[in-house]
Amino acid sequence: MKSVEDWYRHDRMPHIFCTGCGNGTVINCTLEAVMQMGWDIDNTIFISGIGCSSRSPGYITTDSLHTTHGRALAFATGVKLAKPEFDVVVFTGDGDLSAIGGNHFIHACRRNINMTVICMNNMIYGMTGGQGSPCTPAGAISTTTPYGATEPVFDLARLAEASGANYSARWTAYHVKELTKAIKVGMEIPGFSFIEAMTQCPTSYGRRNKLRTTTSMLEYMRDNAVLLNKAKRMEAEGRELSPGRFTVGEFVKRFRPALGVVKDEE
Amino acid sequence: MKLVIDQNLCKGCNLCTMVCPYNIFQEGSELNKKGVVVPELDRPERCTNCRLASLYQRRLCGVCQLICPDQAIKWIEEEPYESMKVVIEY
Ligand SMILES: Cc1ncc(C[n+]2csc(CCOP(=O)(O)OP(=O)(O)O)c2C)c(N)n1
Ligand code: SF4
Ligand code: SF4
Ligand code: SF4
Ligand SMILES: [Mg+2]
Repeated sequence: MKSVEDWYRHDRMPHIFCTGCGNGTVINCTLEAVMQMGWDIDNTIFISGIGCSSRSPGYITTDSLHTTHGRALAFATGVKLAKPEFDVVVFTGDGDLSAIGGNHFIHACRRNINMTVICMNNMIYGMTGGQGSPCTPAGAISTTTPYGATEPVFDLARLAEASGANYSARWTAYHVKELTKAIKVGMEIPGFSFIEAMTQCPTSYGRRNKLRTTTSMLEYMRDNAVLLNKAKRMEAEGRELSPGRFTVGEFVKRFRPALGVVKDEE
Repeated sequence: MKLVIDQNLCKGCNLCTMVCPYNIFQEGSELNKKGVVVPELDRPERCTNCRLASLYQRRLCGVCQLICPDQAIKWIEEEPYESMKVVIEY
């Protein structure tokens, strides 16, 4: 039996992520889910675009593709169609997936391609120094929103659901057990599985938004995450989520026909 | 099994101090040779995984290891106690 240690490239550690960056936690949860799935190192491929989050496949022993900004899903589609027997996992960031790569995202969901996509949503362009992304919440300070962001944000998990993905869930880097479980369920389900992992970026986000320490960012996620069922109950009672709070849980799980699923011998 | 923090990997983010149900990880106070303040372990033998992993043949709890962004938390096999010769002088 292989251990999770075999999946890390120890020669590349310690990784380049800043102290307390949530990306490392999401890699842990993903590899834990991969172990529970019993996947094979030689049959798994990790694909990413550009960004801090997109550097993750570089720390994993399997084959990987570190592609161009926003295009991870296009490359992943190609890999899945050429090698349908491969297990394909995509790591992406909020900017990579929903800004420059937004169109690839909705169409990959619509086609329902058999892969697992994990988005590390730190609500900012981390790598390039903290520009606002389509997920930067109202009021947040970034280098492109020095007076506070004013635009409405994308709800990525709901966008995936509306676009046709078979599975969509959102958790945070604080909820490690739940996140691991969601990734595993996503891997089990044929078709497009989307898992949004809210992560902390202390360097480009926290520092400018009164969340100076990593622990305070995690406390923010712990205290503001609302279970989807609770949010639905509140909605039925006509109560709204207060600003800054967000929902976590499983948004959709269904079995629509998927692209790139290997059929068992018929 | 013995709980250890890898001094070469830990970046001192203190996330582990937030999650352990036994508060085994305590904020550290001294810089190590890499210039990082690594958390200190308070009676790590209380850890669920240290006590029960060999009995159940799998990792138990493990929340600290999952959340540690730098893959610095590990369990190592403990050296068996060496029998010591006691010399008694009359
Ligand atoms: C075509 C192109 N445009 C812009 C960039 C610059 N760039 C690099 S990373 C990045 C944003 C990354 O943000 P996100 O995907 O959220 O990743 P994070 O660093 O936050 O994990 C941008 C705009 C680029 N590399 N290529
Ligand atoms: S800039 Fe932000 S996202 Fe990038 S490594 Fe640092 S903390 Fe992580
Ligand atoms: S979570 Fe990991 S990197 Fe952070 S202080 Fe604890 S052992 Fe060090
Ligand atoms: S495995 Fe659980 S009990 Fe043991 S040190 Fe980690 S968090 Fe604490
Ligand atoms: Mg980002």
